[in-house]
Amino acid sequence: MENSGHNSTIWAIGGGKGGTGKSFLTSCMGTHLALKGNSTTLLDADLGGANLHSFFGLNAPRHTLADFFEKKLPLQDITVHSGIANLQLIAAPGASLDNENINHAQKLKLFRHIRNLDSNNILIDLGAGTHVNTIDTFLLADKMIIVTSPEITALENMYQFIKSVYFRKLKSIFKTHGLTSIIQEVWKNRAAYGIRNLKELIAHIRNSSDKTREVFDREMSGFVLHIVINQARTTRDIQIGENLKSICANVLGLPAIYAGYSRYDEGVKDSINKREPFMLFNRLSPVVGEIKSLTENIINGTGITVQRELLNGKL
Amino acid sequence: MESCDPYFEILELPRGAGMEDVNRSYNYLKKLYSGDAIEVAALNSDFSEEFSRDYLARLDEAYVKVREELENRKTVASQQKTIMGDELQQWVKGIDSFNGDQLREIRIRLGVGLEDIHAVTRIQTEYLASIENESFSAFRAEAYLRSYLIEYARFLGLDSNRVLADYLPRYRTWAATDKKPDVVEVGYVLTKSV
Repeated sequence: MENSGHNSTIWAIGGGKGGTGKSFLTSCMGTHLALKGNSTTLLDADLGGANLHSFFGLNAPRHTLADFFEKKLPLQDITVHSGIANLQLIAAPGASLDNENINHAQKLKLFRHIRNLDSNNILIDLGAGTHVNTIDTFLLADKMIIVTSPEITALENMYQFIKSVYFRKLKSIFKTHGLTSIIQEVWKNRAAYGIRNLKELIAHIRNSSDKTREVFDREMSGFVLHIVINQARTTRDIQIGENLKSICANVLGLPAIYAGYSRYDEGVKDSINKREPFMLFNRLSPVVGEIKSLTENIINGTGITVQRELLNGKL
Repeated sequence: MESCDPYFEILELPRGAGMEDVNRSYNYLKKLYSGDAIEVAALNSDFSEEFSRDYLARLDEAYVKVREELENRKTVASQQKTIMGDELQQWVKGIDSFNGDQLREIRIRLGVGLEDIHAVTRIQTEYLASIENESFSAFRAEAYLRSYLIEYARFLGLDSNRVLADYLPRYRTWAATDKKPDVVEVGYVLTKSV
């Protein structure tokens, strides 16, 4: 076997709000990776709201994650072919299973099996919300991707999601070093310490001792979010990604890369309703090129920079 | 002199940024963090009025400091032309033909950095370095090199006509023998304009 599974790169696509295009982008990024010749597995982790299969015109697969949890089938046995070379799919069950029904042991087992999948890339499509299982799955990834659309509600949920992710990450790194009490104490007394946002909380915790500083710097090196703006209609929308980089650094205190954007296109809806894989049948749409380039940016850990001009115009 | 690096960082600019970038970035960030933009409004309680005030105060401070430094760079640089010591003046007088190495030496003995020249002349430091290294291929045509040389020489307080007269023949010799044929450049221009 040329690939033991341990060389695979795990991507998690999250963002908090539903309907921003996480599943659509997952299906497109996966298609691009597969067409480049890398074996790619898409995992629908939107428990209770599964529909990743529809982006490939597949009917709801017979085997889903429910069989993994309940019948103890291995993940390899519940993967279905997407119809595109090199691209596999693991479906989530429709309604019988949701985040509440998965216990800690099951979650760890799933993570272990994901890591051992025989695939170059594993793309995990997360559901909406900030349930702890969603957050943990996101943190499992090598590439943490935040998808948002340029609306205030999507951005609000995105910030909540990012904060949950970061807070959970902090807790877990300090827990393994027996420093959990610090984080709880600081959080409880945040008003007394004059802490107004996540960035200040982090700075306070990091600077509270040499040990926390050392642990923080070691564990957080390489922690970066890849931001994608979906359904951009104006140049102003594209700039939101640029501004989010600045806001993540100034207010949330964490690094972010603007991987790219993909514009709003009626063709996307048509393509989904026709049950055609978008990337294959819409080569003329600018969206295809935009998704390709943002996927490449995520692979390479690079990003785009938008000129900081106060202009606005339709795309 | 106190380091301006943190101030450039607040303005989200690299250290070598010029006044134009500074102004643009300042206005942009000021508008962004005033709180009306949706990406800031969506922060809700994470972006309190107090935080906004603090941030804008730091931004203003950074802007003032960076402006000061850039002005300083300019005046220090423009004053430097005249502060050529007697010894150096004697040495410069003794030069019978200016070349890149000598220009560099004069600049270094004057204590002038390439960024200082850039700050006043707005000539990219790569071109300034190319003048000193005599890497002629960096210049697409003699006209570019010529105008850069004039600015460079003036900045160092040298007689620009003399520098041109000494330096340009070296470029012309190179252009006549080693320069890639112009066809390449024409091709480049064509594809660009298509």
